[in-house]
Amino acid sequence: MNNKIKVTQRHGDSFKDKLYLPAIYDGVKVTFKHLFKNVNDSNAIDTLEYPEEQPTDITDRYRGLHRLTHRTNGSVACVACFMCATACPSNCIFIEATEREDGHDEKMPKSFFIDTLECIFCGYCVEACPCDAIRMDTGIFSLTGNNREDFVLNKDQLLANKGAFGEENSCARD
Amino acid sequence: MSTAAILIAVASFVLGTLLALLTIPVLVWLERRVAGLVQDRLGPNRTNVGGFRLGGVVQSFADVVKLLLKEEYYPSHIKKGRWLFMFAPIITFVAALLAFMAIPFADTILIEGESLRVQALPIDFGVFWYLAISAIGVLGVIFGGWLSHNKYSLLGAARAGSMVISYELPLGLSILAFIITYDTIDFNAMVQWQSGTVFAILPAWGILVQPLAAIILIVSLFAETNRNPFTVAEGESEIVAGFMTEYTAMKFAMYFMGEYVAMNTASAVIITMIFGGYQIPWVTTEMLLSNFSVFAISLMIVMPIIVTILIRWMRKNNTVRPTVSTDGGRDFETKVLTIAMLAMTLLVESILIYLVFLADSSLANAITVTLFQIVVFVVKLMMFNIFFILIRWTVPRFRYDQVQRLGWYYLLPLALLNLFITAIVVVGVSA
Repeated sequence: MNNKIKVTQRHGDSFKDKLYLPAIYDGVKVTFKHLFKNVNDSNAIDTLEYPEEQPTDITDRYRGLHRLTHRTNGSVACVACFMCATACPSNCIFIEATEREDGHDEKMPKSFFIDTLECIFCGYCVEACPCDAIRMDTGIFSLTGNNREDFVLNKDQLLANKGAFGEENSCARD
Repeated sequence: MSTAAILIAVASFVLGTLLALLTIPVLVWLERRVAGLVQDRLGPNRTNVGGFRLGGVVQSFADVVKLLLKEEYYPSHIKKGRWLFMFAPIITFVAALLAFMAIPFADTILIEGESLRVQALPIDFGVFWYLAISAIGVLGVIFGGWLSHNKYSLLGAARAGSMVISYELPLGLSILAFIITYDTIDFNAMVQWQSGTVFAILPAWGILVQPLAAIILIVSLFAETNRNPFTVAEGESEIVAGFMTEYTAMKFAMYFMGEYVAMNTASAVIITMIFGGYQIPWVTTEMLLSNFSVFAISLMIVMPIIVTILIRWMRKNNTVRPTVSTDGGRDFETKVLTIAMLAMTLLVESILIYLVFLADSSLANAITVTLFQIVVFVVKLMMFNIFFILIRWTVPRFRYDQVQRLGWYYLLPLALLNLFITAIVVVGVSA
């Protein structure tokens, strides 16, 4: 057991440490080096000048704003099964179902609202969806509005959002 | 009193007030900007008036407007001592402001046989004035913390009280060593003592004559101004905001601005006492006045060089990256500022040419030297303010018992020893 004991060397007891000033000198040397370098060339600082510069490192697994997908023939992929609304931990999905007349399935959403102020962007709705009808692959990370109503997205807005990473249509329904 | 005397007095007062008050927004901006640049960020650089950002300094003015327009909230649990609660930030602010007034911005100017002080308060006991007034500042902190009826505020106030007994003695003793060395309590005479040469080649600056006392003075003044590494009274991480926890809007802003005025004052005292004040090294005012043409011609050579460097720096840095499509008016700003700087340089150059070759007026020469010294003073002041800021973003905070240990076990004996040696040397030299 004895050979497992590791004695950590404590700092701060030597004369040089107690003087404080050498340590402060070393610290100021580091900070001043950074200050001088950045004052000399402020454009070389590795920061993103948002909003003029947009992030380029959003991956295809990024959970952005939601969208509703289409089938290959342009019909809505959603069958209004309420799986997403049931899985949603913040209860922000409001669906009203209606009968489907285009012959693909029995049901489709009459209205589909997502309250993005309530949404926590957990992605459970995407996982719950059996039809690959709701996705979060738009790559949109900022949504702005002038009042609360602007943040409640309706079916048309959700259908209008485009996928940012190549997959346009639902992979589960055709 | 002659007209010239009144004119100089009013001008110095206005200059002192402007230097103390106008540097607040600049310092607030400088603090945030230097912090950003030290940490490889940019800091506030967006706010502008018609495309003029001036590096982002406009942000501070926007912040002041915000603080002024904020709701005046008053904590309802404070029943007694309400007026003192409101008054406490004013004490801190005014004390720091008044202490600044004793600092000379230039040497005494000789007009018609009258020697006039370029000092906001033309007094010849500046050191005592500074010690007396600046020590009041901490009372505002203690009152504010105590009357907030909040445990964090009370702890902050208690810490401020413990700070006072830690640093005031070493501060006083180190200043005493300087008083013995310079044989004066007048800031202006101190600067006059420091202009010129000592030990054959070195400038006679206090930091070279009295290095130990200079270090103790700087450390104590960092404690006096409540700046890092001595921000124990504020102690964000452990006691919220210390004494200012209950303060909002303009009351808070008073404390906030008071901190920066105090920092400015401390910088001014440090450069006046140990870095030669308004003088450039090795040179006295008499040398400048008697060799005025040499001084003016070297100024005419140096100034375009500095302005060229500034303009090149601005043209390089007041731009946006190639990836950004709009420049947000920065090119226009660069153009206007370049023209302004060039025009200013031309104006100064032509005035200097006129003074050297055409006019032969000792009064105009004296005024030129005074203005030059004011510029040197402001440059030194800003450099030391940046040093203050750099220290804040370099070192962590002392625990407040560590501050006391530092003050009593290290600084006080060292200051006493230094005082003793200084006294012996001074007596030995004069005997």
